[in-house]
Amino acid sequence: MSKVKPAPLPPDTTIGGYRIIRKVAAGGFGLVYLALDADGQRVAVKEYLPSSLATRAPGELLPQVQPEKLSLYRLGLKSFFEEGRSLAQISHPSVVSVLNFFRENETVYMVMNYLEGAALQDFIVTARDLKQSKVFRESTIRSLFDEILRGLRIVHQHKMLHLDIKPANIFITDDNKSVLIDFGAAREVLSKEGNFIRPMYTPGFAAPEMYRRDASMGPWTDIYAIGACIYACMQGYPPNEAPQRLEKDRIAVALARLRGVYSDNLIEVVEWCMSLDPLSRPQSVFALQKELSREGERRYTKLSVGEKVRMQFDTMVTDTKRSVLGVANVGAKPK
Amino acid sequence: MKFSVFQVSRKGGREKNEDRMGYCYTKSSGLFLLADGMGGHPEGEVAAQMVLQTISALYQKEAKPEIGDPVAFFNMAIMAAHRQILRYAAERHLMDTPRTTLVAAIVQGGMAHWVHCGDSRLYFVRHGELLARTRDHSYIEQHQDHSRPEVVLPERFNRNVLYTCLGSPTKPVFDVTGPVPLQQGDRILLCSDGLWGSLEDSEIVYQLGQKPVGTAAPELVERALFKAGAHSDNVTVIAMEWETPDSFESTRGNISTDTIEDGVFASTVQAGWLDSGVDDLDDAAIERSIAEINEAIRRSAARKA
Repeated sequence: MSKVKPAPLPPDTTIGGYRIIRKVAAGGFGLVYLALDADGQRVAVKEYLPSSLATRAPGELLPQVQPEKLSLYRLGLKSFFEEGRSLAQISHPSVVSVLNFFRENETVYMVMNYLEGAALQDFIVTARDLKQSKVFRESTIRSLFDEILRGLRIVHQHKMLHLDIKPANIFITDDNKSVLIDFGAAREVLSKEGNFIRPMYTPGFAAPEMYRRDASMGPWTDIYAIGACIYACMQGYPPNEAPQRLEKDRIAVALARLRGVYSDNLIEVVEWCMSLDPLSRPQSVFALQKELSREGERRYTKLSVGEKVRMQFDTMVTDTKRSVLGVANVGAKPK
Repeated sequence: MKFSVFQVSRKGGREKNEDRMGYCYTKSSGLFLLADGMGGHPEGEVAAQMVLQTISALYQKEAKPEIGDPVAFFNMAIMAAHRQILRYAAERHLMDTPRTTLVAAIVQGGMAHWVHCGDSRLYFVRHGELLARTRDHSYIEQHQDHSRPEVVLPERFNRNVLYTCLGSPTKPVFDVTGPVPLQQGDRILLCSDGLWGSLEDSEIVYQLGQKPVGTAAPELVERALFKAGAHSDNVTVIAMEWETPDSFESTRGNISTDTIEDGVFASTVQAGWLDSGVDDLDDAAIERSIAEINEAIRRSAARKA
């Protein structure tokens, strides 16, 4: 993209009584800074500054919005408020909490808890590079998602959907708590065209209904993403994206390979959450929690020899196809 | 009272969208409205909006929390809306009056009542089958009575020729239906002619019967627009499913009035004539939002402490 991103506020700028230390993240909605409050406590400050609608020259404080984009900018601002309003009502250790909301520099700022730690994404990458049969232990996965689901349940109770749950938006703090972050409801509106709202989505974690224009989304849409996150914790890689799955679904085969490594129950839970049909998934977080927390002996069904052979054969065929196609492409190139 | 509702209006190849839609509800009654402002006369969108506002305002006044007699209510409200348009035209010395169709439904006490004037339709579907549909006040529909031999229509017959509507100098003709008892899962769809003009009844019924309204309604609209192509009429749909079970709790479009308090009235019908697709936040509104959020933060913090 040749577009110039809005420049972050320079370090040591003071806004609303908070002193900016540095920029820590940027997204479609704007920027996130690490800052210090009046007592020297660390906070995260999120600045509304959608890169597609506003610009800011380095060293400047005020963003520039082109007149023709002003209405969309204001619309996005409304969503930013929605996010603030929703988060303000939620007070749960597994959901990032809002501390303050203020207006300055002709835009608005949301002050949140600053979390020390790393995203689940980083843990997955580190763990998978160890090249062991298991990326995470089953008990780790269960307790991690138990916490996240408690938070998500509260979110849904407040008539809000996250719509972008992915390992990058699950934060593991240094004191071992998992927290859902980035409730960028703003992203939902910024791609609004006509009467339709099309949220942005992350391939692999977005349920099929997120790709369809204006299809009905609900708790089951976030639940699909939860299933995909658990999958990523087991495989080390995100699942295939939903449209690909609609064509040829390889999830069942990929999960079958994990049999014996993870319990049948966990594998079934992932399959359930990731059903392509929204109605076949757990319809509420509660239903999923119930299944995930089921105590009792875990059953591990190993693959039979026959299944293993068939699977190897499958792989062989796919690989051959791929290399044949590859050769064909190479051959076609010089033309 | 529980129902799911989905409404969508999209501009086809027309210059403006004169369709208007909305719904409102109290603790135990719901009203669904759709009006299609007529072209060929001035300010069709004003007529459509005015009808929605007038009827929903009367509904708010009368539904405490239910409408005593829905049939009488429709008779009264439609005439009030009609007179409102005529008054508007007179005050502004318009050479011609703005006109609109209307289809409306009231759902309460496990019963549905509906009324229509013109060619905006209501489809009532149960278990994937069409139980009832309104018959347009157009020459074509009223003459196609299956008990009589089919009328040979002139080629290129204009389906848009209506003999009644709200806002014309002659008194409107309208039909009230009901009470019709509702069962769980019944669907009621209100639409403008943009939908039924390009889709067969069988397709509308099939889609509506197969999928939740939140999926079926936008898909139908999408299909209608696609099929009609560049010259598509505006397509507007409001679809409702009665008594969606609890287990299927959506965060969007599912309305349960069980938890709302007496005297609460909710409405999607907006005040003001203009198409307020984007209602700009002014400075006062921004300040108000920020104050509200900070108040919520304080309350949450107080709860935690």
